[in-house]
Amino acid sequence: MRKSFWDFNRVNAERLFNNRFAILILILSVLTIFLIIRIYFLQVVSFKHFDTLSETNRIKYIQTPPRRGIIYDRNNIVLADNSSFYSVEINIKESKDVIKIINAVNKEIGLTKKEIEIFHKKKSRYSHHNSIVLKSNLNDAEIAKVLAIRYKYDGLDVTASLMRKYPHNEITAHVLGNIGYIDKKDLFELDRKKYKNVKYTGKTGIEKYYENVLYGDPGYKRVEVNARGRQIRDIEEQSATPGSDVHLTLDIELQKFMYSKLKDYAGSSILMNPKNGEILAMVSSPTINPNDKLWNFKTDNEAIKKLKSPMFNRSINGLYSPGSTIKPILALNGLHNKIIESKTEYYAGPFFQLPNSNRRYRDWKPEGHGIVDLEKAIIQSCDVYFYMLANNLGIQKMTSFFKYFSFGEKTGIDMPYESSGVLPTNEWKVKNIGHKWTKGDTVITGIGQGYFLTTPIQLAYATSIIANNGSIVIPKLNKNIQMKKNKKILEKENYLKNKISLKDWETINNAMFKVVNQENGTAYWATKNKYNNISGKTGTVQVYSLSQKTDVREKEDIPDYLKDHSLYIGYAPKENPEIVIATIIENIGSGSKYAAPISNEIINYYFDNIREKY
Amino acid sequence: MNKILSISDSVLFVFIMLVSLFGLALLYSATNQDVDIVIRQGSRLLFCFILMIIVSSIEINKLKQLTPYIYIICLIFLAITLFWGHDSKGAKRWIIVMGFSLQVSEILKITVPMMLAWYFSLSDDKDISLKKLIFSFLIIFAPIFFVIKQPDLGTSLIILLCGTITIFLGGIRKKYIAYLSGLLIVFMPVMWKFLLLPYQKQRIITMFDPASDPLGSGYHIMQSKIAVGSGGFFGKGFLNGTQSQLEFLPERGTDFIFAVFAEEFGFIGILILLLFYMAIIIRCVYITSKAKNYFSKILSGSITAILILLIITNISMAVGVLPVVGVTLPLLSLGGSSLISIFLAFGIIFSVNRRN
Repeated sequence: MRKSFWDFNRVNAERLFNNRFAILILILSVLTIFLIIRIYFLQVVSFKHFDTLSETNRIKYIQTPPRRGIIYDRNNIVLADNSSFYSVEINIKESKDVIKIINAVNKEIGLTKKEIEIFHKKKSRYSHHNSIVLKSNLNDAEIAKVLAIRYKYDGLDVTASLMRKYPHNEITAHVLGNIGYIDKKDLFELDRKKYKNVKYTGKTGIEKYYENVLYGDPGYKRVEVNARGRQIRDIEEQSATPGSDVHLTLDIELQKFMYSKLKDYAGSSILMNPKNGEILAMVSSPTINPNDKLWNFKTDNEAIKKLKSPMFNRSINGLYSPGSTIKPILALNGLHNKIIESKTEYYAGPFFQLPNSNRRYRDWKPEGHGIVDLEKAIIQSCDVYFYMLANNLGIQKMTSFFKYFSFGEKTGIDMPYESSGVLPTNEWKVKNIGHKWTKGDTVITGIGQGYFLTTPIQLAYATSIIANNGSIVIPKLNKNIQMKKNKKILEKENYLKNKISLKDWETINNAMFKVVNQENGTAYWATKNKYNNISGKTGTVQVYSLSQKTDVREKEDIPDYLKDHSLYIGYAPKENPEIVIATIIENIGSGSKYAAPISNEIINYYFDNIREKY
Repeated sequence: MNKILSISDSVLFVFIMLVSLFGLALLYSATNQDVDIVIRQGSRLLFCFILMIIVSSIEINKLKQLTPYIYIICLIFLAITLFWGHDSKGAKRWIIVMGFSLQVSEILKITVPMMLAWYFSLSDDKDISLKKLIFSFLIIFAPIFFVIKQPDLGTSLIILLCGTITIFLGGIRKKYIAYLSGLLIVFMPVMWKFLLLPYQKQRIITMFDPASDPLGSGYHIMQSKIAVGSGGFFGKGFLNGTQSQLEFLPERGTDFIFAVFAEEFGFIGILILLLFYMAIIIRCVYITSKAKNYFSKILSGSITAILILLIITNISMAVGVLPVVGVTLPLLSLGGSSLISIFLAFGIIFSVNRRN
């Protein structure tokens, strides 16, 4: 029945269907043609565009960091080297769930609570880094375990890096400085283009100062990566240019000896060649082993607390009153300005008083020195003589003369962050203290007390000028560079050498020789053998003014931090000096008792064991 | 031979087999040379091939009688899917049937037009009245209701389109076409506001401006366009597509298989592929024109148009002119359910042709 009806309507229904079917196929065909045009535009017209996009998808430039230069001492003994090690890193830009990765790694190799804590600290602090180290110094088994789960977690990786190693540990710590994580401040100074995949840079000391030399030039790799950033294969590679080695003027044997003498104290000692400015040894104590520093985010605070500021480089940053070590220069000033003559004798009682003042400026010798001339005043370090001299010179003449020795200025040593010290004037005091300069200030400046502050390197530098009779050398640690004296320094040198008579230089040099070699000299008993012709000057810096009435300087019951600083400057031999030394030991006692014997032992060690090598 | 296998059109058969076998090779490339996946797809292909033979051997009138039952079974399966379905990425789209995961909504692309064809051929009056029209849309929307709930808006729209094609071919009056178009235009903003979920809106927005969200939903479209565009005229070569081999391209086996093809075989390859598809479609058009009764004519006509529609939709997704709606490329995409629906369709075509 139905079938017959179909047949009945067959012509109409079929025509309608055919009509509709044709329309449909036509519409779909037109759409298909549009689609083909679209594909033509993508593949043929815009091919270049999409080809570039596809290439940038899959090819990444990766910088390969250069091997850092090695640091040697003057005898080519390695002071800083690289060793490779493996660490687990998490790329915080790529990973989706950092916590999940940490848990997975923890399950495989076990992490301490501290390591996880440190990771999170680093992550927030160094958010500009791509990868953050989770655990360093992996052993082979740990590497294998992490590599086995690596594929599951985007951003998890094991990397080999070069680790800085300092074979002489804390002995060279302050000179060499350390390298550390690049922080945001470093990014301002560094050429970002060269530090793309690098986490470490020199932070202090030689590592910082010679960063450009030691770093080298990074190479690059063009690698194919997949969508998850995993490297598939290398396409092109240009190897990095390793950093240049740096040869220092240090002699590690001397450095070791110096360190052994200072390690029980807080202080600094510097031994320098006054002919060329080469620093043979430079120690700041206390210190810590730099090899531990990079492993831990922060050095154990307990360890730091126990020590007295071990991270502080006293050699170039420690500010100390020069004390009596300044007396030879003040004497030279007096001679040069014709305030005194070397043979003129004065009476030096137990104290000095300014006119119309009750304040007594005491001599270290309670009973006074009696009749003294310039030489005796230096040999016995007579305070009253220099109080008088300072009072007669006035602060203006004093500071302008000190300036020739570059006090209050950086010496220009090839170390970063050197301090300038303080060379006080009236203007300085008004600006920084808020009071006017008084005559009393002038008087105590005469014995290197008060506002006058110097660094150990400044003292070594000034001592070298004395030893050289006015010739200036810039202290340096890099054996292969020539330190250039700028115009200002050349002018100073010209003045010191030509305007100051050789006789005056000889007067103070003779006096300094007698400090060590004459029986009543303050450093006579501090020096065992005299064959090395050492000259020197002791200094004892009062940290705390005892009561005017008390005559006892070294009382047993005063706390350590109020005890005097012990200072010594010296050079040897007397004729044609080849080394100068400056030593400061904090809160220990007088210069004759500590700094002088230690310094002279170091000098003797140099002549007995080091000198013959050259 | 043809008689035994009830394969009545050897040209059609050969082209179907060529494209599907090539699909396995393409899948090998799209899955980073994962032989396991290719073997599994191969066995699915074998299963679907057998299904096609079985369907083609059924008398078309017998098939017509079975249609309502097939439709109801589909509805039951859809309900089961909704309640006990396999949860994936927040959507319940699969059920496990005899160890195979089955996406019933895929099969609806064929069974809904089948049901409509059956419904239209019920009455002797070939004119479509309003009552008939409403009932037709009920047939379409009953399964769509479940599919939307899954939720799967993309497939719902495709099912709606497939059904509409059958209604159109069934001879709906021009008057109603105008009404329905007007209704659609009026309801478009309403649908945008109430029906679409935020991620669905995002998909549509990013289609027009993929760069607006290059790492989010725009990423897929962007990477697919890069894959197609960088293929150039000759393509990068089999297994050499960097976008696919290095996994920049998402959903390589399913939604974006065309991008894999376009990247590796280029514009020239696409033209050849379209020629193969055209050969299949021309045979289907021919069989439709020769169909002897109303049911088989409307059904094979619908199937032919749906085939073209699916190809166009999938390619449009890959070249960024349609939002990513999850339509597979017939015969090439990975996945069992879409393969079942396609081979079911070809089975019907063969059955229709056998009657001719």
